[in-house]
Amino acid sequence: MKIKIENIKKTYGERTVLDIEELSVEEGSLLGVIGPNGAGKSTLLNIIAGIERQTEGKLYYGENRSETIPYREITMVFQSPYLLHTTAEKNIAYPLKLRGWQDAAINKRVEELTEELGLVRLRKQKAWTLSSGEMQKVALARALSFRPKLLLLDEPTANIDPATTGELERMMTKINEREGTTIIIITHNLSQAKRICQNTALLHNGKLVEEGPASVLLKQPKDPITQAFINGELLI
Amino acid sequence: MQEIARGLQEAIKMLLSFDPEIYEIVGLSLRVSLSSVIISTCLGVPIGVLLGLYDFPGKRALIRTIYTLMSLPPVIAGLVVFLFIMRKGPLGFMGLSFTPTAMIVAQVCLVTPIITGLTYNIVKDKADRVRRLALTLGAGRRESVKLLIYELRVGILAAIVTGFGRAISEVGAVMLVGGNIVGKTRVMTTYIAQLQRMGNYDRAIAVGLVLLLIAFTINAILYNIQEKNA
Ligand SMILES: Nc1ncnc2c1ncn2[C@@H]1O[C@H](COP(=O)(O)OP(=O)(O)OP(=O)(O)O)[C@@H](O)[C@H]1O
Ligand SMILES: [Mg+2]
Repeated sequence: MKIKIENIKKTYGERTVLDIEELSVEEGSLLGVIGPNGAGKSTLLNIIAGIERQTEGKLYYGENRSETIPYREITMVFQSPYLLHTTAEKNIAYPLKLRGWQDAAINKRVEELTEELGLVRLRKQKAWTLSSGEMQKVALARALSFRPKLLLLDEPTANIDPATTGELERMMTKINEREGTTIIIITHNLSQAKRICQNTALLHNGKLVEEGPASVLLKQPKDPITQAFINGELLI
Repeated sequence: MQEIARGLQEAIKMLLSFDPEIYEIVGLSLRVSLSSVIISTCLGVPIGVLLGLYDFPGKRALIRTIYTLMSLPPVIAGLVVFLFIMRKGPLGFMGLSFTPTAMIVAQVCLVTPIITGLTYNIVKDKADRVRRLALTLGAGRRESVKLLIYELRVGILAAIVTGFGRAISEVGAVMLVGGNIVGKTRVMTTYIAQLQRMGNYDRAIAVGLVLLLIAFTINAILYNIQEKNA
């Protein structure tokens, strides 16, 4: 799903934590959002997901530039995901139940996802007994279950081991390429951004510093702030 | 020590002999406390959920009041209800004094703040995260509230159990409005108090044990439900 952002601002009291003049995400693209802690990355995703309201500015969804948030078609996986107080598989099934799927169809979809994400053994396990990486995977499976048109991921591999990270990256690429799902992913892992993102945007102090093809932005950035960031320097 | 041992023997004898007086008293205790907990749940859970979800002017003061009422001494609840329903009181025409209905009313006054306050705490704690999740998964308004209640079921159940514990074990309120009348308003706690005054320790201990056993059983049942649904 295509997204267009115009003059979005988010302020808490006196402090402006997000201030983006313009940002477009094309249908079917995979955008990486990078930037230091507190840059406003999560805030941006929360606003796109419709769980926080911008203080100013407009967001448009889809080709016909709708201003209503299409809650049924977008989803987000949080930095620290919240799992429902039940089993792993019921968590994955919940969005499908909401959408009135039949039990057989739900079961088939849960089976697919748990196989793909290596969660088969954990299907019946209570959510609160899972390890944090497992929780992250269940939250991801739950988000993917209903095949959203826009997938927002807030550091989805932060707690995940290297091999599984590789798997998840392949999965995101696959979903993006085969199902045409638009993905925006926040990551602190620059090589991950290089591996999977077509475009990258760098946020700093709530501002969009630079945006462009990942191959360019992560290798020959124009902006000095981006240069400093990818060289691992502290930004002020 | 001897008294306690004899009390135990007496309790077992009483239970096995199906002493009708005891069963009547136990029955009334359960009827009064369960009724008041059901009514308090119907009032306290929705109010607690609404307080946890919505902000409005005066909310802070209201929450403080509820917290204070959570530790309301039973005799005070009893006294207030008594003053309202006594023959010359504003609700005297209803003829409620010294009836089980009056006891239920007094216990509702005690238990509702407890269930409301505890529910409010749980909702406040989790509501925002559940709301965000519900939105990202495409749940509508009604579905979000349903999800919230589903998520909080264990905590709400615990609040109800706490309320029941309070109701079944208090003596002040039921004594003042019920009056411990034989065959009419006598419940376990008021009976124990009376037996103690009369020096009938065996029977007092016996009834005390029955009370403990009931409280234990009901808590165990609810604990089990919590474990299974947890
Ligand atoms: N409710 C709030 N009240 C005040 N400030 C807030 C609130 N929520 C977020 N902020 C501030 O907004 C800024 C941006 O936060 P955000 O979570 O978007 O950062 P981030 O880029 O995701 O950082 P990280 O990499 O650490 O996750 C932070 O400085 C944060 O302190
Ligand atoms: Mg963040």
